Amino acid sequence: MSMNPENNGVSKYTISFGLSLALASVVNGLLVVAKEKSPAIQSGMQKLTGHHWITHSVIILGIFALFGWLFAQGNAGQGIKMTSSRLIKLFLSGVAMGGLIIVGFYLVGD
Amino acid sequence: MGGNTFIIQMNEVIMMAHVFFGVACLVSTVWVFVEALNASEANQARIRRASRAAAVFMWLAFVVAGYFYVLFYKTDKAIILKGPWPFAHNFFMETKEHLVIMLLMLATYLPIAAAGNLWVNQGARRVVLWVAGIIILLALTMEGEGGIIAMGVKVGLLAK
Repeated sequence: MSMNPENNGVSKYTISFGLSLALASVVNGLLVVAKEKSPAIQSGMQKLTGHHWITHSVIILGIFALFGWLFAQGNAGQGIKMTSSRLIKLFLSGVAMGGLIIVGFYLVGD
Repeated sequence: MGGNTFIIQMNEVIMMAHVFFGVACLVSTVWVFVEALNASEANQARIRRASRAAAVFMWLAFVVAGYFYVLFYKTDKAIILKGPWPFAHNFFMETKEHLVIMLLMLATYLPIAAAGNLWVNQGARRVVLWVAGIIILLALTMEGEGGIIAMGVKVGLLAK
């Protein structure tokens, strides 16, 4: 695992996949709202794999893998520089936001 | 053995496997959390092994649950929606099937975060503790939601 002194000993993949986790969690919540509110989106997702939830899972896991890799390529291959405290705040915010969108939607929006 | 009997037994086996792998992921993550609290050179290998085990168990729980959900859940869903606990599907199943994707990503991320030398790098250790902590909370939430969904089917059948 390659380290950067500015990252407080956190590897570039810990940072890149932590950021990707935050991003994919928010997209996960937004995709729930989009497919539940738009029959066309839900139908399209259904057609892609045979079940909207399979398509949903593939999209979100694909985003997690793709952006985890992409964020690690930045900065001439050294990855994004960030302190562990900032990384923790970002992925906690992303997971909390994604969770609140999903719970909030099925509580009041559906 | 009739076809219907086989399907019912398969359902039960699949659901028990799902719960087993989910609990195994939870236990492995608690193990990672406790070891990371006391991170040292001596337990680093155990932390890495337990974090990989948590990820593998979570993937197994997810695949098994997905197989059940896609192929068999519609029968349970119909029972729940006609019964006295429709919220067991409308809220608990709907949130569970989407929150679990976040849990899967967190469990996949755990061994990545635990790959560093936690006893030397406090920052890496804090990341692992936070990730493991969220996994534990989310996994307990999933277990609770699963229990309510199962009760939704039960009260739906009892009301028939």
